[in-house]
Order: sequence, then C-alpha cells, then structure tokens
Amino acid sequence: MVASKQTEFTLTKDTAWCPGCGNFGIIRALSQALEGLGLKANEVLYVSGIGQAGKLPHYIKGNVLNTLHGRTLPTATGAKLANGDLHVFAIGGDGDGYAEGGNHFLHAVRKNVNITYLVHDNQVFGLTKGQASPRSDQGMVTGTTPQGVALEAFNPLATAITLNAGFVARSYAGDREHLSRTIQAAIQHEGFALIDILQPCVTFNKINTYQFYSSRVYDLDQEEGYDRTDRQVAWARSFEWGERIPIGIFYQTLRPTLADHYGELLKKPLVKQEHDKNYVAGLIDSYKIG
Amino acid sequence: MQTFNIKIGGEAGQGLVSVGNILLQAITQEGWHLFAHQDYESRIRGGHNFFQIRLADEPVATWEHEIDVLVALDEATVTLGQGELRPGGIVIYDPDVLGDEAKKLVDQPNCFGLPFAKIAQDLGQPKIVANAVAAGAVWALLSEDITVLHQTLEAMFGSKGEKVAAGNQKVASAGFDRVRELAGSRPKPAKPENPGARLLLQGNQALPLGALAAGLKFMSAYPMTPATGVTEYISEHGQEASVVMEQAEDEISAINMAIGASFAGARSMTATSGGGFALMTEALSLAGSAEIPIVVINAMRPGPSTGLPTRTEQGDLRYAAAMSFGDFPRAVLSPGDVEEAFYLMGQAFNLAEEYQMPVVVLSDQHLADSHVTVPPFDLSKVEIRRGKTVSGTEAGPDYLRYKYTEDGISPRLYPGWGEGVVISAGDEHDEEGHLIEDAETRQKMMEKRMAKQKLVEARALEPVLCGADEPDAMLIGFGSTKGAIREAVRILNEGGCKVQGVHLPQVFPLPESLGELLQRPGRKFIVESNYTGQLEELIAARFALKPTGSIRRYDGRPINAQYILDKLRGGVCGGQ
Repeated sequence: MVASKQTEFTLTKDTAWCPGCGNFGIIRALSQALEGLGLKANEVLYVSGIGQAGKLPHYIKGNVLNTLHGRTLPTATGAKLANGDLHVFAIGGDGDGYAEGGNHFLHAVRKNVNITYLVHDNQVFGLTKGQASPRSDQGMVTGTTPQGVALEAFNPLATAITLNAGFVARSYAGDREHLSRTIQAAIQHEGFALIDILQPCVTFNKINTYQFYSSRVYDLDQEEGYDRTDRQVAWARSFEWGERIPIGIFYQTLRPTLADHYGELLKKPLVKQEHDKNYVAGLIDSYKIG
Repeated sequence: MQTFNIKIGGEAGQGLVSVGNILLQAITQEGWHLFAHQDYESRIRGGHNFFQIRLADEPVATWEHEIDVLVALDEATVTLGQGELRPGGIVIYDPDVLGDEAKKLVDQPNCFGLPFAKIAQDLGQPKIVANAVAAGAVWALLSEDITVLHQTLEAMFGSKGEKVAAGNQKVASAGFDRVRELAGSRPKPAKPENPGARLLLQGNQALPLGALAAGLKFMSAYPMTPATGVTEYISEHGQEASVVMEQAEDEISAINMAIGASFAGARSMTATSGGGFALMTEALSLAGSAEIPIVVINAMRPGPSTGLPTRTEQGDLRYAAAMSFGDFPRAVLSPGDVEEAFYLMGQAFNLAEEYQMPVVVLSDQHLADSHVTVPPFDLSKVEIRRGKTVSGTEAGPDYLRYKYTEDGISPRLYPGWGEGVVISAGDEHDEEGHLIEDAETRQKMMEKRMAKQKLVEARALEPVLCGADEPDAMLIGFGSTKGAIREAVRILNEGGCKVQGVHLPQVFPLPESLGELLQRPGRKFIVESNYTGQLEELIAARFALKPTGSIRRYDGRPINAQYILDKLRGGVCGGQ
C-alpha cells in the first residue's frame, strides 16, 4: 500500500493482507470518510474482531481495541456506553459477525447502540484459509464443504431490516467513493448503522471476484423513486442477488438509541462523571436498624 | 451465647419469605443479632421451601440444625421438620392445610394450630394478610410486647395505605394473643445488653453495595441464580448512583461489554454463576492479554452443568483459579460473610485496576441469600485506587499502551482523553499495541504481564484468624464457611481444646504467610463445600502440604458448626 501525504488518518505501509485484497479498498475508503468529516484520530475508536478484517485498525490511526473473534459488537457497545464522545466502529468479517457473533448481531440491532458496524463480507473464512462462511453461496466448494455448501446464505440486510435497524446499507470494496460516502452517512446516523461491504477475497473466493461484482452492482442511492424509509420495500429489495446486486442505503429510520434509554445519566460521558459517595452512604443507612 | 431458631416452611408462593422478612426486621429492631438462611427449590410455585432465622444475644454468622419454633404453612413442613425440633420446641401450624396423617403428628401439647388465612378473613382482611398472623404468632414466643412488631408492620406496609398497615397489625395481634393463650408464660430468648445500630442485609445486597461504594460505573449481566440479586440491585440503584447496568443477550456479551466499558475508562463488573462464568472465560483471557481491568462476581451453586440451581457449593474454586486458556495474572477473592463481602468488593476493583487484570469474587448461594446483622459499614475505609494512569498531556502524542516498565505495569490512558491514541489487542502485541509475530517481543511481553502476578502474590490478602494463638489444631476454609468454622472453633475451645480458625479471603494467589502458618505443628483440617477438595489442592500445589483431614460437603446444603464437629468426631483434641 502506498501512503500518500501525511494526514490525520494516514495508513500504514506494511500489512498482513494479500496483494489485491478487498480490504485495501475498504481501509482507503474509511480513511477518506474520516478525513472528509474532519474527525481527529483520538476521537475515533475501532473495535475489531479476529479475521483478516480484524487487523484493519492496526493499519490506520485511531484508538484500537482488537478483541476476540465474534465479540466486536458487545465490546463496542460497552465502550460507547462508557464514553459517548467517542466515534465507535465495530469492524469484522462475515464469519466474525454472522457466525461466531450472530447472537450479538441480533441484539446490537435491537439495542440500537450508536455505532457504525463495518462487515467485510468476502463470503469465506479468509484467515483460516477459505472455509465456507454463513455468506457463502450454495454449491461453493471449500475445505469444509467438499460437496459444495448445502445451506442457504445468511441475509444480513433482511435480518437487520426485520429487526428495524436504523441504518442498513451495502457497499462494495471496489467502489471507494460509494463506500466512503456510505461510511460518512453511517457515522452521521444516530443509532446502529450496518454496512455490509462486498469484499473480494482474491486468494480463496474465485466466484465473488472484482469482475463478478463490478458487472453486477448498481446503486440504490441513485435510483429514482427509491424510498429508503419504506421498510417493506427495503426488505424485499434486500433479497435481490444475482445478475444485479443492489448497493447503497437500503433502509433508514430514527428511533431512540441505547443511550437515550438512560436519559439524563448519559447526557454526559459516563467516564467523566464523579462518584457519588453520599448516595452510597444513604443506601447503607437504609439498612440500619436500632 | 444464647440462640433461638425459627424455621418457616411452606410451598413457593405461600408467603414464607414475607413472614420471614417481617420477622427479620422486627427481631433486629427489638435488639437481637441474627443470621437467616433460605432453602428454596428451582420453581416459582409449590414444592417445599424454608426460611430459617437464628437470633442471638451475640453476633452470629452461621445456622443451627435444631429448631425452637417451627412455623408450618404447608404439610411437608410438619412431616419433615418435626425431627429437627429441640426438646421443648413449639410447632405453629395451619390445621386447614394438613392431611389426616400430619394431623396425628401435631396432636401434641407443644403444637399449636392456627388457621392463618381463616383468622385473617374472620377479621375482615384479605387472605394475603395471613402472613402477619404467622408473624404475630411467632412474636408471642419472643416478646411480651407486640409494639415493635406493630411498628415493623407500619414501616413495611405504611406506603400501601393506613388501612393495609392497620389490617396487618390487627391480624398480627390475633396471632400473638392466640399463641400467648396456648403457650402460657414462657422465658423469652436472651437479648444483648447494648446492641447499638446494626445493618440488616444479605450477601446479594452487600456485594453490589460494596461495588457502588468502590465507584462502580458500569455493569452488564445476564440473569442467573444465585447472582441475579446483584444484577437487580445495580439495575434498581444505577440511575441515581450514576452507574450504567445493561442487561446482555448472554454471558459472553455481558463480560465483553464490561471489558469494552473498562477499556474506555469505567470501573466495570459483571455477575454470574458457574455456567455463565464458563461462557465468560474466553473474554477473561482477552482481559489478561490486553491488560484490561475487570471484576467478575461468580455466585457459586452446585454443578456440574445446571446442577442444583438454587443450592450452595464451593465447587468453582479450581475453575476460577485456572480461569481460562493461556498464562496471565489474576486474583480470586472469597468473602466469608456479608461484612467482608462489602469491603472485599473495593479490594477487588483496586486489584483489577492496579494490576490491569481480571479479578473474580467467589460468592455462593449461602452468602448471597443469607441475611445477617452486622456493624454499620464505614465508607471511610473504602479506598478507591485506580492504579497507574496518565493524563492526556503526560501521555503526549506518542503514548505507548504497553510500555515496558520495571514492575510490568504500563500507565493507562483512557481513549479520547489525550492527543495520543490507545491501542489494545488480545493478539500478542508490541509496546504500542500493534500485532507482532517475533519471538523476542512475545517473550518480553509475557514476562512483563507475568511480573504483575508476582506483585499480586506478594500483596495477597492475609488469612483471617480466630481462636487459639498457639493451636493444637487448625480449621482452614474460604468463602461462606467462615462463620461455621468460627463457631466450631469457639465450641471446641470452650470444651478445652486449642483450635485456630483460618479463613482465606483471597484464594488465588494464596498469601505466603499461609505457608508459614501451615508449617507450624498441629493437626490441620481443610473445610470446604466441594467433592474433590479444591482448596486442599491449591494449598498442596503451592505449599506441598497435606492436611491431617478433610471436611467436605457436596449435598447442596451449607456447612455449619455442627457439621464440622460431627465430621471431626473427636479427632481434634481429647474427647472433643
């Protein structure tokens, strides 16, 4: 990777990714989005899982908590509740988020915690060398599915829309402008924002390649008359997958975020609040007899 | 010491906890010390449960098997409880719930039939007020004067309206008068001369209260008996105490959320029981590697698997000490009673933050659910030490989260508090926090982290001793056996033995001084509530010492002094 001029979100030259990896497109788009919004590196926290995607925060400037496989969402949720001033990203792959972390995904959507979730969706387990993921197409032959994948692929967008996620988008690692724009919209959205990013894995996924996607993706954001506030329409569109694959913001709605449920308590970052000894003294007294 | 034991038995949902709570308040108000434990089944209605109160003229910290008053709200209490009755003990039963066989059992002069519900209804009160009839009936055996019980009912039900409080008082008087009539004049249990102010609370209140006193800021948890009380307590008081308590979708999420909050700079904890603790262990390894402070309360219940969900055991000690995969520093604390539970929570948070590591606090069902009267907690004794931190200015733009230091502790900067960024990883990393693969850095980082374990060991909490200073025998335990051991030691020493009790508030790493103590001559008995002798194993591993004997219990019921004495069967000294 070639780092251009020194900027707030300068990228590291050395990475552990394969040449041509879709992750390069994603990290450049992320850097561009953050620069574009004029954010400072110390205001940003990337919570990442394990997998090729989980390494991303080590190659861009910002606060980092590189946690366990599948556990990015609860960790990011805790960090955001503790310090609402941080711009928190959860970053992981489709195996990390939809397999190991599937339960957390459902509940992070329900909680509507105000974070941006980037899923590097390459439809395989890259770091462990190409086994099937919940996103692999039926029939795909991998090390763990020599007869071809039998199961229907997981649909993260439909799942998120079903749970009334506030911001549901898909973008493509091969379209830096689109991805950067979508990331900025996600950051500006108040609430949980999912961006499922189509990410070619040049080493292990010979089906869903740059060529495969470039000839198929089209931008919903540019489609005249598409109403991203219509949940039924968005849900139906999330099943389109074949000769044409939609990218863009499928669905957006505003509902109270997790912090809103705490009312006054989280109007100021929790970590900056003083410890109230008097309240505890009163509680102790409430048990006093005699 | 003079004690008096009241056992209230009934089906779940019959109100035995209400009767128990009324009596706890009134007994404490009247001036006694008390210890009360609960035994309940894993069901919401039916079954057979009991609530047992031991009152005394001195502070008490354990229960007794023999009963002075048995209050039977159901038939099973009569059939099961008769054998536990002390000579001269009284049974107060509801004749309307007994079958013919049970009626024969209570056809005795010491058994008083009071149709609780009928008495309440005859006085124009709803059936639910029957609990106050039972409380009044018991009160007649404790005191000549019902004033304090009336005051208690006023305090407990006054908020529901004058009529409700008055109704409760009226039926309590009916129960009181009836038993006075039937029992005649009897000596009443001895009272302490100057009891002074006492707190009445249970472990599941003292633990979260201790956490709040220690400056807890964030908790996340998933409900699991017997830890749920801690979670509900923080949920109830969180807003006012400026604490976030977030219910998680599972225990894995709970611990990871708390770790995320702690990384961001909030004092954080979670609470669970064995099965939930098992789910959390992966994340504890993360906290070890990434050096993120975290406190976990593990309220033990008998395993394996779901085991006996509502009973007690100390079977997770080995698991807590081993905690997770890989080597990383940790500590395990084991409060022995309600008072220690309060103060140890502060110690747990200080340890976690000073050494940037996971700390487990081992509670159990017996500690969690038992009520006791204790001296008022002293907040000035709760010191908040957050360990080595740096301000944003001190940290500068080139802050290194895992900077090599002499003691292995790298000063923490909270993310967003300075110009520098904070980089943490569970993967092996360099001083900055970025991922590495080389052998040299790996070895250095491992040694940096494990250097902290030596410091934790050097500072381990000292054993708490009682009884003889130069003993012929020692009784050694941890956690909720503390009160039982203390009482067994007292009884043995009153009988002419020289016995010392050794309670361990910290079980991992064990304090060096325990080794010295165990080198002294005399017989040693290790007392614990598990099958394999997990404390014994930890002591053997650390000090290569085998005890004279082992006293173990694993039937799901709490150890008390009598249990210890029965197992010793004179093996301690002389005929004792």
